[in-house]
Amino acid sequence: MEKIISIANLNYTYPDAKQAAINDLSLDIYKNEWISIVGKNGSGKSTLTKLIDGLIEADSGTISVAGQIINEDNIWEARKKIGIIFQNPDHQFVGATVEDDVAFGLENQGMPREQMVKEIDRALELVKMSDFKKRDPQSLSGGQKQRVAIAGVLATKPQIIIMDESTSMLDPDGRKTVLNLVQQLRKEQDLTIISITHDIEETELSQRIVVLNTGKIVKDGKPVEIYDLGTDLRKYGLEEPFSSKLMSTLRDTVKLPEGYLSEEELEQQLWKLHSNM
Amino acid sequence: MEITFEHVTHSYDVNSPTANLGLDDVTLKIKNGLFTAIIGQTGSGKSTLVRHINALLKPTSGTITIGDRVITSDTNNKNLKPLRKQIGMVFQFPESQLFEETVEKDIMFGPMNFGATETEAREAARTVIKLVGLDESYLTQSPFDLSGGQMRRVAIAGVLASDPETIILDEPTAGLDPVGRKEIMSLFKDLQVKGKTIILITHNMDDVANYADAMAVIHRGKLIAQGFPKEVFNNQELLKNDLITLPKSAEFAKGLMQQGFHFDKLPITIDELGTEIKHQLNGD
Repeated sequence: MEKIISIANLNYTYPDAKQAAINDLSLDIYKNEWISIVGKNGSGKSTLTKLIDGLIEADSGTISVAGQIINEDNIWEARKKIGIIFQNPDHQFVGATVEDDVAFGLENQGMPREQMVKEIDRALELVKMSDFKKRDPQSLSGGQKQRVAIAGVLATKPQIIIMDESTSMLDPDGRKTVLNLVQQLRKEQDLTIISITHDIEETELSQRIVVLNTGKIVKDGKPVEIYDLGTDLRKYGLEEPFSSKLMSTLRDTVKLPEGYLSEEELEQQLWKLHSNM
Repeated sequence: MEITFEHVTHSYDVNSPTANLGLDDVTLKIKNGLFTAIIGQTGSGKSTLVRHINALLKPTSGTITIGDRVITSDTNNKNLKPLRKQIGMVFQFPESQLFEETVEKDIMFGPMNFGATETEAREAARTVIKLVGLDESYLTQSPFDLSGGQMRRVAIAGVLASDPETIILDEPTAGLDPVGRKEIMSLFKDLQVKGKTIILITHNMDDVANYADAMAVIHRGKLIAQGFPKEVFNNQELLKNDLITLPKSAEFAKGLMQQGFHFDKLPITIDELGTEIKHQLNGD
């Protein structure tokens, strides 16, 4: 597997802070992987993404993006490879129409008008928002707004997309649509997805979950391995998945297999028990 | 203090031909001592609604009664202080409004603004800091040295310090991790048990199911449903038209119904769901 981001012995302490926000952290992220970074408020998740995107500079350690160690001279080059989708869709809009908004990143790159129009259409097509291109972004639902924000990022053709709690303000339907869309884009466009979240349900589509606590990686594993931590997840500010919580209320009188089951698996188990009655 | 909306309409731009109705003929009663959740999509009018309760906005037509205070389009801006002392408002991301050099001063600001003496305000700060789960040592710190979650607690403490009878919360847990969210929600539930009226604006249907006694659904400025959460989440008309989303447990129960389980009413909390499933599997 090809590494797209390689972080080695990274340290960062905010000015005047007593504790390090990132503490000797090393992590490799592979091309086309969907990795979730989870942990409580203040665990270092957001700091880590700011460091990866070069918004702040590490005290020591290195970050390589696509094989190049980031330094002052190449940071802009590296940043072009990374797109970020933020938490609040309302804070991300600058254009009066959806297409203007998607154009913003491209205008910044100085792309000729004709090519820009094509890129905007392509990006809106990918997020299935072409019908909305003349609309005022403020008239859209939360989920639609985030799809436009994703289009804005896709238009600049990044290799890596960082989702910084980007579904936390959406309703369940909006969240599901956005997550499925990201999954599809990851496969079709060969993207690498880094999602920062403290919502365990949002990690289900990822291939790997890294748990941060006080600036260090405390767990790194497949979703099932992390979900198996059960109530121990609370130490890291997280909740167990819905299916695990339901299973613990049932276990005293209902015979269920050990370990983690997804919601679909649990539904199947309950169906079997119900049909054997 | 009972809060009543009677035929309240709020137009954001009265003179424009496309007059934008923030609220459209809303009649609603918010009962004293209850925990009421207000839900609706972004832009539906939830925030417009609650801003009428402490007269941050005034109705274009209709009346709002808060205890013995009546607010209409003619209400003038004088003498609103007693009302605003009774109605505490926690806005979204309230930590962005912290500004003093110490936590103590920040918390004392509200009570002193409403006429408390310095001694009283200091005493209030000492009480509420513990209420929000922080100890007294935080009082001397700068709010800006705290983590996001701690800042949120300080901002909430600032609202509680004036001892309002009614507390309005606009997405108070947005951005908090699940453990922090639970702590904050339990704090508000405790305050309700101690006699406060709580009004919560939220997108989180599990919070509605777990904490609220009553709920109101706002859609395009209109009140389209109100009642007990269990009733509203079982309102077929709303479900059919995609006007509400369900709590996780109700969603899961719907799936089970296709596998032969039967629910008279969709359960809305994990405990209810667990009890129902056990009942149906064990036949007890």
